[in-house]
Amino acid sequence: MKISYNWLSQYTDIPENIRELADKLTMAGIEVEAIEAGKIIPDGIIIAEILERKPHPDADKLSVCRVNTGSEELQIVCGAPNCDAGVKAPLATLGTVLEDDETGKKITIKKAKLRGVESSGMLCSARELGIQDDHSGIMHLPKDASVGAPLNSIIKSDTVFDLEITPNRPDLLSHWGIARDISALMGTTLRFPDIKIPAVLKAEAAKYKDSVEVLNKGLCPRYTARIVKGIKVKESPEWLKERIQSIGLRPINNIVDITNFILMELGHPLHAFDLAELKGQKIIVRTASDGETMMTLDGKTHKLKSSHLVIADAEKPVALAGIMGGEHSGVTDKTVDILIESAVFFPPNIRASSRELGISSDSSYRFERGVDFEMAEAASNRAVSLILELAGGEIVSDLIDVKAPEREMPAPINCRFSSIRKLLGTEIDNQEIVEIFKRLGLEVSEINENSCRVDVPSYRLDIEREADLGEEVARIYGLDKIPALPVNAKMVSSLAEDAYLKLETAKNELISLGLCECMNYSMSDEKSAVCDGKFTKEDLVELKNPISSDFAYMRPSLFSGILDTVRRNISRKNLDLELFETGVVFCANKNLYPEERRECCIVLSGRKHPERFSSEKNETYDFFDMKGLLEKWLEHRRLENTGFRKADDPRFEKGSCAEIIAGGKYIGSFGMLAGNFTRGMRTQYPVYLAVIQLDVLLGLKDRNILYEPLSMFPSVARDVAFVADESLSHDKIVEFIMRSKPENLEKVELFDIFRDENIGKNKKSMAYSLTFRNSARTLTDEEVNKAHEKLRSQLASGLSVDLR
Amino acid sequence: MPNPIIEKISSALEISRQKLREAKTENDIEAVRVDLFGRKGLMPALSKEMSAVPSEEKREVGNALNNAKNEIQTLIDEAKAAISSVSSSASDEIDVTLPGRTWKLGKKHPVTMVIDDCVSIFRRMGFIVAEGPEIETVYHNFDALNTPPEHPSRDPQDTFYFPDGRLLRTQTSPVQIRVMESRKPPIRIVAPGRVYRRDTPDATHGMNFHQIEGLYVDRNVSLSDLKSILLAFAHEMLGPSVGVRLRPHFFPFTEPSVEYDFSCIMCGGKGCRVCKNSGWLEISGAGMVDPNVFKTVGLDPETWSGYAFGMGIERIAMIRYRINDIRLLFENDVRFLKQF
Ligand SMILES: [Zn+2]
Repeated sequence: MKISYNWLSQYTDIPENIRELADKLTMAGIEVEAIEAGKIIPDGIIIAEILERKPHPDADKLSVCRVNTGSEELQIVCGAPNCDAGVKAPLATLGTVLEDDETGKKITIKKAKLRGVESSGMLCSARELGIQDDHSGIMHLPKDASVGAPLNSIIKSDTVFDLEITPNRPDLLSHWGIARDISALMGTTLRFPDIKIPAVLKAEAAKYKDSVEVLNKGLCPRYTARIVKGIKVKESPEWLKERIQSIGLRPINNIVDITNFILMELGHPLHAFDLAELKGQKIIVRTASDGETMMTLDGKTHKLKSSHLVIADAEKPVALAGIMGGEHSGVTDKTVDILIESAVFFPPNIRASSRELGISSDSSYRFERGVDFEMAEAASNRAVSLILELAGGEIVSDLIDVKAPEREMPAPINCRFSSIRKLLGTEIDNQEIVEIFKRLGLEVSEINENSCRVDVPSYRLDIEREADLGEEVARIYGLDKIPALPVNAKMVSSLAEDAYLKLETAKNELISLGLCECMNYSMSDEKSAVCDGKFTKEDLVELKNPISSDFAYMRPSLFSGILDTVRRNISRKNLDLELFETGVVFCANKNLYPEERRECCIVLSGRKHPERFSSEKNETYDFFDMKGLLEKWLEHRRLENTGFRKADDPRFEKGSCAEIIAGGKYIGSFGMLAGNFTRGMRTQYPVYLAVIQLDVLLGLKDRNILYEPLSMFPSVARDVAFVADESLSHDKIVEFIMRSKPENLEKVELFDIFRDENIGKNKKSMAYSLTFRNSARTLTDEEVNKAHEKLRSQLASGLSVDLR
Repeated sequence: MPNPIIEKISSALEISRQKLREAKTENDIEAVRVDLFGRKGLMPALSKEMSAVPSEEKREVGNALNNAKNEIQTLIDEAKAAISSVSSSASDEIDVTLPGRTWKLGKKHPVTMVIDDCVSIFRRMGFIVAEGPEIETVYHNFDALNTPPEHPSRDPQDTFYFPDGRLLRTQTSPVQIRVMESRKPPIRIVAPGRVYRRDTPDATHGMNFHQIEGLYVDRNVSLSDLKSILLAFAHEMLGPSVGVRLRPHFFPFTEPSVEYDFSCIMCGGKGCRVCKNSGWLEISGAGMVDPNVFKTVGLDPETWSGYAFGMGIERIAMIRYRINDIRLLFENDVRFLKQF
């Protein structure tokens, strides 16, 4: 909401320093979003009078004017259409520097010849002076402006604040409202604008007594009307135009400008009807009938529902209550008699109607937040007073005031001083608390040493409870005066209950393994969501109101997101990638997965040592780099029963894919990304990817760490080599050896695999080194040889291999 | 008394070890090899002497000889390898400025860095982490948080809904409700997590971003406690010179509600472009738990009091690392990620 400094200063004394005022407002909870400092008009701009206007001999659009500056007569060439004789206008005298607001360019006014005619200065438009946006011609100054005086003696530069008003404080949506809060903050006196209303002739007044009928008092708790006859609709005086222009409104005519002015002055929306257009000279406040139509003053026709409240005359709706006037009932140049509406509407109804009809206005904005019940009358009085002053006419009715009889008064609040102190944590005394309430316009009574009774005025709809009073005390007392106590670091639960600890540890492990963490959006399009072949459309959690079809589904896996990350990096020539992501993924099919679970994706691709040179530079990540990384991660987590098994998976190349087992459970898959996913990526390197069921992994119990004593005796090494079928996998061999439990065997390590035609087709030669050691003594050759021989023969018979 | 051959073997071993350690060229190594294994070397000579060894000692001497041969051969191989790696560079010295072989260094995402820092700061002050689902009920996200039915944040313009009426949480605050429903005070938790707003992504908005929520419920908790925890957090996070300012504000689930600012770390509060000349950086909102919220979760507001606070993780990351576009955080360009 825009607030003008000059305007605000009418109602209370405000700090001269703009910054100081902005800080006061900010610290009172009225956030200053922007300050538009008014332009300072240079002294060289003076008030001049055009004495004579002649056409330029050589240019159609230019005029040659004789201008009185108060001390001399000058010849000025002017291009504006409205530089007529008799007009008073701002003149930039020679030597004045003007600055263009948009470009920041400065020009100095010099004596110049325009198409051969000498000109000694420049007549200015409002925009050239940075006062208003009007550039249709030179600015016309009031007839009584004194010629020769600097313009800044009559036009004061203004500053406009753009304020953010929180939804609980509709009472601040006006200059008066802001002034009222400032007076509470600073203890200054408030000045309500002068209102002068002459007495109404009794006979006239009686005629209009019953012209307002409210059929739905629930939706319209108060409706007031006043009738003024014989007015003259015309342009508003400068001061009024200046006020409403200062906050960005466009002047229309005196009557409309007055209603807009009062809206911004007192925060109460008004509406002026042309009495001649009200059939039966009646106002009926009713709900629309279903399907009833009306055209609003913006020229749009609306089809109404029975929940929409309208202001109608005897025949048809003439306004959408509290939202917008009708096309044909408003004030025009021809209007002579008017009816001024000042009402209160039920906020939720205005909000719903405004939303349904897609119309939002300054008035609906205030009505849907709640206006001051009592202000309805004051605003009407203020309007009539101004109309009589600026448009003439005669008031012919008293305030026609239709109120809901059962209006609820806000309940008084019992305020315990100790509760306020406890809430704020500060030693503010009773006296000071009461003082703050009074400054805020709250009525305080029944004060005793423990508590007081507080009655809340009609404009503070947000204060209902003790806690709300606490907030007011904090606001006015000053949050900066609340002490910051030493930190209380009370431990009320154990770290074992911490929900983040496991995930945090897992992330740190992946980082320690050399991976960079990624983060992708949680939503995706349908095609990407099901691209991994693991989910169908029915498994997806679909949004009802996505931003676009590109983000219509919650991701069922991190797969497509991290694929995008790989693709984006490769397109930017970042080919060497070591990445991981953890995040929540979603599934609608409860038979498959819980609705929300955590997943982890790991990516390896590109060169292992791009920083090195020669052959080392060309080493690239392969299947066993990914496997080794996963093995180290599982080892990090101290899991038991871990392993890998061959798998087929549409996400990975056939034959280059495995499943990961830990704690005896499936926890994920990895492999070389299948060709249909890497197609089009400009990289020569394969992409290795792992998808881990993170919740399953994090749920596994880790092994207790128990120290094993170290043997101080020497170890003895033996080898075993044999030819086996290709189908016999390494893990089967190791498992067989371990299960055979050769005496004193400490370690088995694969050291060679060898294939050639001498060995035979579908055969391989495998060689393992065995380490024997005893914890209590030095082994003899004999016992090692015995164990070795025994194992050899077990291998030969148990695995049907040919020993070498 | 061991066989004299064994003594010869061990003294030859000792000398060879010494020579190989000091060997600088291939020739030095070759000299050692010839001394031991050459036609006129020590080893062939000792082998010949074996015939003279008494049969009961043959096995022991034979083993010693074999072990020595094996050891020397290994030492020679190692010495050669050491020399060849050095001599592959033109001079005797390596070029120490050649690139080192990288040990891969992983990086935390900046959002995680901020979350982890926040969590560890609050853990130090006795908080533990709690969590809640990202698909939430309207009840937990709005109703129980005292949000009036007409509050604009409920609008489908701003909040993502599902056909069954649930929504994507717009804030981490529903975790407050879930925690108060499930355990008895005193409660001291923080809840970091992902939240969603229906904003079209631009430099300062995303469809999803992260928040961390804090909640402390106990007897006699005051606004002053809130101020002190925020001040302590600011000092731990950004340094001891950072100031905290509270401004009155409005949130449905706290009363009083405040917004809090940290003094600008760029200019030290004097005013600069980053803080729009105010000297303060707007961080987020906080307040004292509204009595209606306590009533909703079945706690007596006369007995229990509490504060709650929230903050935007991306906002802090952007201030801390001077990131000017929030979308960079979700692009995952490794050149960006590796800067952290
Ligand atoms: Zn700054």
